[in-house]
Amino acid sequence: MSAGLDNLKHIVVLMMENRSFDHMLGALRAKDVRISGLTGNEFNLDTNGAIVKVQASAKFQGELKNDPDHHFPGVDLQIFGGAQNDGRAANMGGFVKSYFTQTNNDVNLSHAIMNYFALGQLPVLTELATEFAVFNGWFSSIPGPTICNRAFAHYGTSFGQVSMDIFYLLDPILSVYERMVNAGQTSKLYYYDQQSSTMEVVNLLKNEPQVFATFDQFLADCKSGSLPQYSFIEPCYNDHPGDDGGQILASDQHPDHDVREGERFIATVFNAIRTNPDLWQSTALLIVYDEHGGLYDHVVPPSCTPDGYVAQAADTETGRPFAFDRLGIRVPAIMVSPWIPRGTVIPGPEDPEKGRVFEHASIPATVTSQFLPNFDQNNKRTVREKNAATFLDLLTDQMRPDDDCIVFNL
Amino acid sequence: MPPRVVPVPKTPKESYNPERPASSLLRAQILHLHEALKWHVAEIQAALEINPRRLFSEREVSNYAKRVSRILHPQAAKRQKK
Repeated sequence: MSAGLDNLKHIVVLMMENRSFDHMLGALRAKDVRISGLTGNEFNLDTNGAIVKVQASAKFQGELKNDPDHHFPGVDLQIFGGAQNDGRAANMGGFVKSYFTQTNNDVNLSHAIMNYFALGQLPVLTELATEFAVFNGWFSSIPGPTICNRAFAHYGTSFGQVSMDIFYLLDPILSVYERMVNAGQTSKLYYYDQQSSTMEVVNLLKNEPQVFATFDQFLADCKSGSLPQYSFIEPCYNDHPGDDGGQILASDQHPDHDVREGERFIATVFNAIRTNPDLWQSTALLIVYDEHGGLYDHVVPPSCTPDGYVAQAADTETGRPFAFDRLGIRVPAIMVSPWIPRGTVIPGPEDPEKGRVFEHASIPATVTSQFLPNFDQNNKRTVREKNAATFLDLLTDQMRPDDDCIVFNL
Repeated sequence: MPPRVVPVPKTPKESYNPERPASSLLRAQILHLHEALKWHVAEIQAALEINPRRLFSEREVSNYAKRVSRILHPQAAKRQKK
């Protein structure tokens, strides 16, 4: 066991919304060729057959007012380019075509789906990616929308769902929070505030109200050193007035919310941990996005271990059933700890020898393996979660000195 | 030497727009909240159907008190050790 792992007392996961790896971090390839970003030559064809190359011209807000499609059939089009034949190959060629349908068939607007942020536009995310560890191969769990993808982060499965429909727990699969509480361990799911609430409504609000708290409590827990062993943080999902009459902006980065507010939120979470010396050296922070939100990424999602469920053709709306045997589109994922060397890049599918594949089932898999090593003796997990890669091996024996780790000025 | 400080730009006030049409995600979220509320109503209704005057033992009383307290003060359930 590494000294970093030996010192680990807390895992914190911050899950943002709906941005692809290339959209947020693709520009970093120009800074570090090991990062599997964009060369600038990647392209899609638009509905007129014209080539639309990726462009470093993404805007913080305003160019994605029409929410890009990220429901199962839309993502199927994005991955397979519209091919419907048996044995079709994924080519990541249908993003512009997919967005065309969302923009009232406006060809020019449809090109925006290929835009990515230029170097320097996202100082928080890119500093964290280059100062700590960035994953080249972290994928959303399902080629579909938010709710079912987030379910994988909590349960290691979506119980057969590929949509945003309400679902119920019919199997003895426990959420990672219930596992922790049942074993006398500590765990909290911090949502931003009551107006924003949580995306884990039906199952967790029903079954485990005691694991919920608000973001203010997270900040207080960091300050007082009383953070639980496992924390999951939800950003603010909507613009709304604050209790004092002020303006609270959505910080989830879901299109078309201002990406800069999400940057500030990520920096706030980081600083809360960073500025408590005891917490800083005993915490691993994972920043990850739930799914790609319909935005372009160039990496073909790999196959994966099925979770035992099958979504029927009527539910996928593609005319095909889905056996949860392929991951969704790649998303940004960054791990932060002083026990991680600067500039760590975890290779993904681009490296056939050393590449590793992570997905949201990696989250309960990691938390369970770290805090509940005997869990499988008496309880069930999906085979998907059991086979998911865990990420705490990134913690090394060497802790970086305080002056070697950044702080954000908010 | 102090750690390197990275400035984070402020978000312009004009970005605030609570009149923005809600995304499909937010509209799904309120359906989930609505569903959760129905579950709580069913829980409250079931508790109201119990006649407390017909509870006589300490076991019955404590079970009923727990049931009602879980609704009125869910935060107290399964308090965690810190």
